[in-house]
Amino acid sequence: MKLHQFFHLIRESFRNTWQNRLMALASVGVLVCCLMLTGFAYLIYVNVEQVFQNAVEQNKVAVYLDITLSDYQVMRVGQKLENIENIDDIRFLSKEEFLAQYNDALSDETMDSFEGENNPLPDTYIITMKDLAKFRETLTEIEAISGVDEASYDADTAAVLSRVRNVVLAIGSGVIGVLLLVSLFIIVNTIKLTVHNRRLEIYIMKSVGATDGYVRFPFVVEGLLLGIIAGGVGYGLIALLYQLLLDNLTFDNPLLKLVPFSDQWSPLLLGFLVGGMLVGVCGSAISMSKYLKQEGSERL
Amino acid sequence: MIEFQGVYKTYGADSRVSHALQDVNLHIDDGEFAFIVGASGAGKSTFLKLIRREETPTSGEIVVNNFRLSRLKRKDIPYYRRTMGIVFQDFRLIDSMTVFENVAFPMRVVGKSRREIRHRVEHVLALMDLQGKGNRFPRELSGGEQQRVGLARALVNNPSLIIADEPTGNVDPQMSYDIVEMLTQINKISNTTVLMVTHEHELVHQFNHRVITLEKGHIVADTGRPRRVGTVSLGAMAAEMGGAEE
Repeated sequence: MKLHQFFHLIRESFRNTWQNRLMALASVGVLVCCLMLTGFAYLIYVNVEQVFQNAVEQNKVAVYLDITLSDYQVMRVGQKLENIENIDDIRFLSKEEFLAQYNDALSDETMDSFEGENNPLPDTYIITMKDLAKFRETLTEIEAISGVDEASYDADTAAVLSRVRNVVLAIGSGVIGVLLLVSLFIIVNTIKLTVHNRRLEIYIMKSVGATDGYVRFPFVVEGLLLGIIAGGVGYGLIALLYQLLLDNLTFDNPLLKLVPFSDQWSPLLLGFLVGGMLVGVCGSAISMSKYLKQEGSERL
Repeated sequence: MIEFQGVYKTYGADSRVSHALQDVNLHIDDGEFAFIVGASGAGKSTFLKLIRREETPTSGEIVVNNFRLSRLKRKDIPYYRRTMGIVFQDFRLIDSMTVFENVAFPMRVVGKSRREIRHRVEHVLALMDLQGKGNRFPRELSGGEQQRVGLARALVNNPSLIIADEPTGNVDPQMSYDIVEMLTQINKISNTTVLMVTHEHELVHQFNHRVITLEKGHIVADTGRPRRVGTVSLGAMAAEMGGAEE
């Protein structure tokens, strides 16, 4: 395709979009709705993920060591804990630091009596796990380490959270996948109507020797243009609605705090624009391919 | 050159089979003008669809402008179609485009420059007596004028074959005569092969061209190429066409 043909077809695409603006508006409307539903599914997932992460942060396991261990043995236990794959974070809490946590609760006299050799508290490692689904296996590994006296944990919370997160992830991915397919299906059919409205133009193009690529190009550009517009409009609307939700929805539980929109604006904008463009371009290409294959059966 | 060798075209299957064309053998030389006549259902439309390669024959061989259509790959069809211009009964002009844009359309498709397009389109419009109407839209023109725009569009890429599918079906008798005369001039001056489908026997008899008659899918009569020059005089338009050739 020559450069002047390329620019001519780009101009034609814009002109055609304007001339068929009602159809374009319908396509954009459908795409905006589907993108917004997909966007909301994503935001729900992001919020559940945040609640999960917050809960995981609070679901730490305290690994109490045998109080008879030497400093070297304590360090060796720490190294063995680091080698366990599912452990995300390890923080050492010495017996002195442990005792200091009770500073406010105990009298100075009592505190003094626990100084040095008399400190009854053990050295402790506070650990966080990467995957709570492997909570039981990891705990068994920890307890098998020589020098570990006891591991304190809340197994029920861990298991429930892990299950909730996996279900939300599966449903969220499914919903997003289905919505994208539905968008594509609707766009293919909407563009098919546009193509049908312009069948005379396509027939004339083909009868004077236009290649399939030449016929398809303006429709694909149109799809791209509609995708960008739908992406932009959808993004603006979802930003507005989510902000309204942030302003009006408050929870007492700090775990249930909504993710601020400022944390998610870039992946959302990118997703909306790329998603819109992909659905627009693929929708146009699919509609046109089906139409172009109907050689000789045009009904004008 | 158009050549049909033992061409059959059948639609449907088993008990619902319909033979649109049966054992059609035909040779039309370069530069010939031929009328294809026949009643409705005679196979005229199928005949044209096969030539335009919108359909493929059930059996037999078709060669047009040195393209063997049975071996033509899908990607080569557009290049084959660029060798012909088509005039339709219902004009098939694009309503949203001006007269100029409609005529320029085939030139844009083949990638001609803006300068070439402007020069050639203005020339062809003048040839069709449509000067000053380039900025009008098809709905602002009479039926005859619209058909002349269709003729200009068919002519604009200097095709070696013009296919006219009942081009006089929607115009008055005088305009019908004028259109066939224009096609005749184009045929004489630029040696363009013209194939015109019509069912207007009276109109056909006013011109001294080859007449091929189709009936129920068979060629039942073929007058062959007339030996003497046509009765139509080459007037002022012919002189203009001579200038049009670049």
